[in-house]
Amino acid sequence: MAPSQKPVLEMRDAAKAFGGVQALKGAELTLYPGEIHALLGENGAGKSTLLKALAGVHKIDSGSITLNGKTFEQGSTRAARDQGIAVIYQEPSLFPDLTLAENVFVGRQLEKAGVVDWKSMEQQAKSLFDQLGVKLDPSIRARGLSIADQQIVEIAKALSIQATVIVMDEPTAALSSKEVDRLFKVARSLEAQGCAVVFVSHRLDEVFALCSRITIMRDGATVGTDLAKDLNEAKVIKLMVGREISELYPKLPAKIGDVVLSVDGLNLAGQFADISFEVRAGEILGLAGLVGSGRSEVVRAVFGVDKYDKGSVSLNGKKLRNGNAAANMNAGLALVPEDRRQQGLFMPTSIAKNSAVTMLKKLAKLFIVRAKSEAELAAEWGKVLQLKYADIQDPVDRLSGGNQQKVVLAKWLATEPKLLIVDEPTRGIDVGTKSEVHRLLSQKAQEGMAIIMVSSELPEVLGMADRVLVMREGRMVGEFDRKQATAEKVMAAATGVTK
Amino acid sequence: MTSLIQKALRIRELPIFLFLVVVALVTGFANPAFFTVAGLQDVLLGVSIVAVLAIAQTLVIVMKHIDLSVGSTIGFTAYVMGAAGSWGHSVWWGLAVSLGIGIAVGAINGFLVAYMKLPSLVVTLATLYLVKGIFNEIAGGDTITGDRVPEAVNAIGANYFFGVPYIYIIVFVLMLVVGFIMKRMRAARDLYAIGSNLSASELAGIPVARRVFLAFVATGAITGLAGVLLLARYNTADANSGVGIELYAIAACVIGGVAIAGGIGTVYGAMIGAVLLQTITSALGALGIPQFWQLAVNGTLLIAAISLDRYLSSRVKPTSIMGSHE
Repeated sequence: MAPSQKPVLEMRDAAKAFGGVQALKGAELTLYPGEIHALLGENGAGKSTLLKALAGVHKIDSGSITLNGKTFEQGSTRAARDQGIAVIYQEPSLFPDLTLAENVFVGRQLEKAGVVDWKSMEQQAKSLFDQLGVKLDPSIRARGLSIADQQIVEIAKALSIQATVIVMDEPTAALSSKEVDRLFKVARSLEAQGCAVVFVSHRLDEVFALCSRITIMRDGATVGTDLAKDLNEAKVIKLMVGREISELYPKLPAKIGDVVLSVDGLNLAGQFADISFEVRAGEILGLAGLVGSGRSEVVRAVFGVDKYDKGSVSLNGKKLRNGNAAANMNAGLALVPEDRRQQGLFMPTSIAKNSAVTMLKKLAKLFIVRAKSEAELAAEWGKVLQLKYADIQDPVDRLSGGNQQKVVLAKWLATEPKLLIVDEPTRGIDVGTKSEVHRLLSQKAQEGMAIIMVSSELPEVLGMADRVLVMREGRMVGEFDRKQATAEKVMAAATGVTK
Repeated sequence: MTSLIQKALRIRELPIFLFLVVVALVTGFANPAFFTVAGLQDVLLGVSIVAVLAIAQTLVIVMKHIDLSVGSTIGFTAYVMGAAGSWGHSVWWGLAVSLGIGIAVGAINGFLVAYMKLPSLVVTLATLYLVKGIFNEIAGGDTITGDRVPEAVNAIGANYFFGVPYIYIIVFVLMLVVGFIMKRMRAARDLYAIGSNLSASELAGIPVARRVFLAFVATGAITGLAGVLLLARYNTADANSGVGIELYAIAACVIGGVAIAGGIGTVYGAMIGAVLLQTITSALGALGIPQFWQLAVNGTLLIAAISLDRYLSSRVKPTSIMGSHE
């Protein structure tokens, strides 16, 4: 990157809100031709929204985007592509049934005399693959291609449209180290050809190895852009997390009792390894780490939704069954899943039925569940949770996100679990409801419930947890007491930075 | 690059084609009458109507959609073509109206599926009933008999070109045309993209709704014309014409390798599937096996076809780290 050059892309003071949530506010990004530019930030800092604005998926509410000196035409993925921006998503979006050649040219297949010219598509795809230094046969179908190879096809696609800006969203997350090396080579050759490459990654060592400049985002705003050589990992982390931990998290003092859950040497091939920890009565255990570090996989295995390969889980000294969620639920486990729409609720069904679904056995008299007893149970919990609803028989999808989350909580709290696992309990819900959820969790802990809280939000973890475990790449990499835990320490462990 | 043999082995339709050859040979061996000119003509005549519907169906199935309404449309247009004369209209009028009915039904299906985002299974089931209702109302108890079939239409059904039935030649040419379009026209390639990965199609800027709409219209149009062929073939039509044939056409597609999961399959495969179904029907007759076994065999064949498909696609090996197939 030569500073005298004119930037290829400039985003100025971009703002974007979804409903009441301000995803971007004061986002800035300047890219020069022939640079690899890192975009960093915590989960929820606004990186994805920024990328999607460049991809033509979202339109920003205010601010400006200039591409090659012209105003960037927003809001259409096709237009974004035609203007020279190519986005490679974390999960590449190839067409499994089409050949690699057609995948490269999809939607704008090469033609000769008005008909699709397969031969030159295959030839050109081949020469693009060669240029990227990979041996791929353009005539095979994309089904079964490894993620790394799929990315190469996407990059070939980007080259074929002569993209001047190539965005890679966490491209290394699913790659082996050998594949990462190959990707780096490709990225450097794109850089040498004069492309501006945007590289989003949580692995700071990779960022410093590859990128020449770094832009850091926090809470939807750009908080710094600098040459990589003028930054270091500690500075970057400070910029990423640097904010006050507010009074959102009313942690009540709770008496920590005996060990309730103990997890010993849990292994699941490809997901996590050597996971051991304990949770005590009255304790809130925070499970921190980046998205994809294996946190959700661990709690799913503990609860019994997924089977683990090795290890054991016991509740109050009694061994729990591997892969049998129903038995473990009866034993006193509860899991409030990450994706409430998909896993936590029956969306078109009533609030009453949703709340009572875990309690059907207890409510049933002679195998028959009366609607009235469902409604009574639901109303009781609705009161405790300050649920805002018009009618207890309304379908759940009429509720706001926060209130939906309360219904999920109600459903599991009604089982009076000994151990409650909550996975991202406050994702996507408003601040007010958030603190109610926190208060509730805190209160339950005070009453002696053991709680595991998985969260990507550092302030939430630091504010709520008595103890914080940090995972990275499927392993436990750090344990901090409430007193020791700081944002910097947890983030350093989660990203693998050693100080 | 791959050798020709490797390329040939990748052809999806190959196993089912080989199976067809085996069935034909075995039957011919057991009963030489099967291989007479008359026997082969029987198969080709018998397959034509299902084949044309299977060709039309391929357009929607590759998009991961389905069109059940064709059974009613084809019967309706066969009847209209036959009744045109007694209503005081020309053959051309009948042809135009048949085509028009097909396009109209296709447009309704396409609009509801593409723009209203309703599931095609339900939409076309509804139009299957809807069109049948209208058809019943118009046809009543009337039967088109041979004397009412227009001369030109009758000629299509009765004549042979060097021993090949006219109807089959028409269907075969249609297959070649649609096959060429689906391989070599951009808009038709989009149908495969849509069926293979809908969200990626949208990201790639493919005008998904327009493509889905037009594919349903094309299916309807072909079905409308197929009604004329149905009348030509059987020389008769009434309110029961075409009942159930939509499922037969879908079965032909699936057996011929047009994946119900979308994204894959050709009209050639659909044709092979239709021929195989017809050959088995004829073969069972030639082998003296009671006709009621025919449906059971068809069902077994369907299960075998999708199982083979699942097996073959699970066999695709993930590529190695540094590029694949070295």
